[in-house]
Parts: sequence; C-alpha cells; structure tokens
Amino acid sequence: MRFLVLSSLLILLLVGCTPVYKNLHAATGDIHHIDQFKPAYSVALYNTAVNVTTHHLSGLLLVKTMPDSSVRTVFSSEMGLKFFDFEFGHDGSFKVNYIIKQMNKKPVIKTLRKDFDLMLMRRRNFSTAYLRKDGELVYYVFPQKKGSFCYITNAVGDSLQRMEIASRKKPIVVATMQHYNNGIPDTIGITHKNFKFTIELKKIER
Amino acid sequence: MMIVLLTMMTTVVAHAQYAGYTPLANMQNFKTQFAATAQKTATIKSDFTQEKNMDMLAEKITSKGKFWFKKNNMVRMEYVHPFKYLMVINGDNVLIKDEQKENKINTKSNKLFQQINKIMLDCVQGSVLDNADFKTRVFEGKSAYLIELTPQTKMIKSLFKTITITIDKKDNTVSGIDMMEVSGDNTLIHFTNREINTAISDALFSTK
Repeated sequence: MRFLVLSSLLILLLVGCTPVYKNLHAATGDIHHIDQFKPAYSVALYNTAVNVTTHHLSGLLLVKTMPDSSVRTVFSSEMGLKFFDFEFGHDGSFKVNYIIKQMNKKPVIKTLRKDFDLMLMRRRNFSTAYLRKDGELVYYVFPQKKGSFCYITNAVGDSLQRMEIASRKKPIVVATMQHYNNGIPDTIGITHKNFKFTIELKKIER
Repeated sequence: MMIVLLTMMTTVVAHAQYAGYTPLANMQNFKTQFAATAQKTATIKSDFTQEKNMDMLAEKITSKGKFWFKKNNMVRMEYVHPFKYLMVINGDNVLIKDEQKENKINTKSNKLFQQINKIMLDCVQGSVLDNADFKTRVFEGKSAYLIELTPQTKMIKSLFKTITITIDKKDNTVSGIDMMEVSGDNTLIHFTNREINTAISDALFSTK
C-alpha cells in the first residue's frame, strides 16, 4: 500500500514536472520551417495600446533594423515623448538605450525584453529545439533556461496560429502576429496570463 | 593665447545655439508687446505638423492635425494623420482619446499633467515668461523671437532639456514649439494657417 501511495506520488510529481509541450505527440519535420514567420523589419511604425491592470497607455512603437543588423524598438507617446529605446543585438545581446524614470524597473524591462524576444523570434537555439503536434497544430519548441518559447502553426504550416512563452507547466504569455505584408505583420497582440497585461500593435501606413 | 581661444570658442558655441538669433536687448519691451497680443487673442485656429526626430536612429515620425485655442484655458489638439489622437484641455480637465480608449483626467490630482497643462496654456496665452517652473531666455531673429525655457522642477527636468517657442514677429503668435528631450530626441510642432479671433464653439472643448 505504502509503495502504491509512493509511486502514485512519484507519478504525479513526474507528470507535474513534465514540460507543457512534452505531452503532445512527437513530430518530425524541418524546424527551420518556422523561419518564414520571422518578421523581416526594415522599419515599421505601430499604433500601440498597452493595458496594465487598470491602467491604459497608448503610443507609437517604432521597430527598425539598423545597419549593424541590431533591431531597435522605440516606444513614444503620440505627442512625441519617448518612453523607452531598446536595442536587440544581432549576437543576442540586449541594451537599454533609454527608459523614462517611471518605467525604469528591472521586472518591467525583463518582461518587455522577453515579449520582444518572442515577437522578433530571438532566443532560438536550433540544436535543442524540437517539434510536437496534436490533431490540428504543429509546435516549434525552443527550450530556454527556464521554460520555453513555442511557435504554433496549423497542420499544413502555412499559418502562424500563435506564439507562447511557457513555464514548465503552462503558457504565461500568448501572442499572435497576423496579416503579413512584405514580411512584416500588420497586427500583433501579446497577452500575459499571470497578470493583467496586454500589448496591442497595429501597423501605421505612413 | 589659449584662454582667448577658449573664450572665443565658448562664445561661438553660445551663439551657434540658435543660428540667426541674438539675445534680446529690450526684454521689458518684448514682454509688454507679447502680453498685449496675448490679451487681444481670444481664439486661435491652426493646422499643425509635428516632427519627432530620432537622430540616433536616423528616423523621423511626422504627424499632422488641427489645433484650437479659446480663452480662457481651452485647447484642443487633434491628430488626424497618420494616426488619430485627441487631447482636449478645458481648465483643470483633460480628455484624451486614442484609437482605443477615452481617458478623462483631472489635473488637480495628476501633478505631471498639471505641469504639462500649464506649459501648453502658458505657451499660447503668452504667460510663459512668468512661469516660475522655467528659467527663460529670449532671443531675437529677423522674423521671429525665440523663447527658451529651461525646466527648474524635478519632474519636467527629467523629461526635457529645454523647450523653445518661436514667436512670429508678424502677428506675435506662436509659430512653433520645439521640445528637446533628455533622451536626445526632439519634437518640433509647427503651426500653419493660423487664424486669430475667428468664432470657435465651446462644444469643441467639451471634456465630458
């Protein structure tokens, strides 16, 4: 009896520890297939709405690839005031070029950095990546130090359904990129599951 | 010799700050003139072009819209291209409407907005020279005056290095506002097609 309880506990523990995407069916295919959805930014300007708990903030997000291949994300108010300027280096590095005092907090920067990493399809180590599937969807999983980044397409692989940042147990960020035009998504949505935080981006035609 | 050279260089730098402008000789005269025009200005209707310059990124964001002012304390700034954004100031009340939401703010409970509100109104009402939140310097050019505002309060200082207001000599009204950010960017708002004292309905400034 004791053995049974122990083994049940062990099973429970093991199941509880199984990374969220491991439970899906194994799949084979080209993991690089996901690259087609990597946004090809030269420069794009997005109308941006950020909702954090009960606060609402709108503004403009500029995404620009610089001559040295780094990508800059610059968020400013409609009236011109800059909130932050982040630099995502080609080598995986990250630099805060500017952030206003009110936002200059480590968790804020860390959260935004991860969200942009997911959106720009960075932090992808193909040597540890794997594919999974369920009935309808294909999962391109990129394990991270903690949890994983996952890009999910339809079965045929011609439509990006959603992107996720997952802890070992569940998705904590779910995002979508839609309506690609010349390699640049027109609409982007990022939703955090563990607290009320959403970012909505709609491309502005200048 | 070195000292002379250094002094010369500093003088050149100080003057090169605003090309074509020299420090104003008669400040009192300007003040009286500016205040008199402001006194006579009951309404302003204008188009505006805003340029946000990000030199580090070799990037410029240009937007356009319409601007209205009515005495006392009423401003409506409506961006129409390439995005829609509306800000209405009516006394202590501010209405902000972006493409998704409407936000009503009472500046009495929001210090930053209170200060921004005051800058906006001071600029168009001509009372900016008396605003204790800034150190002011005035320069004179061929066709315009420049009022340079240097923030003295901690909050505004953390955002702006200087704000420069251009006053057209033709009609003594504001033709431009240039906000130099601490970040190195600047935002230039240029007012065109200015109409002074045309009838403007109060309804335009409703914050309800």
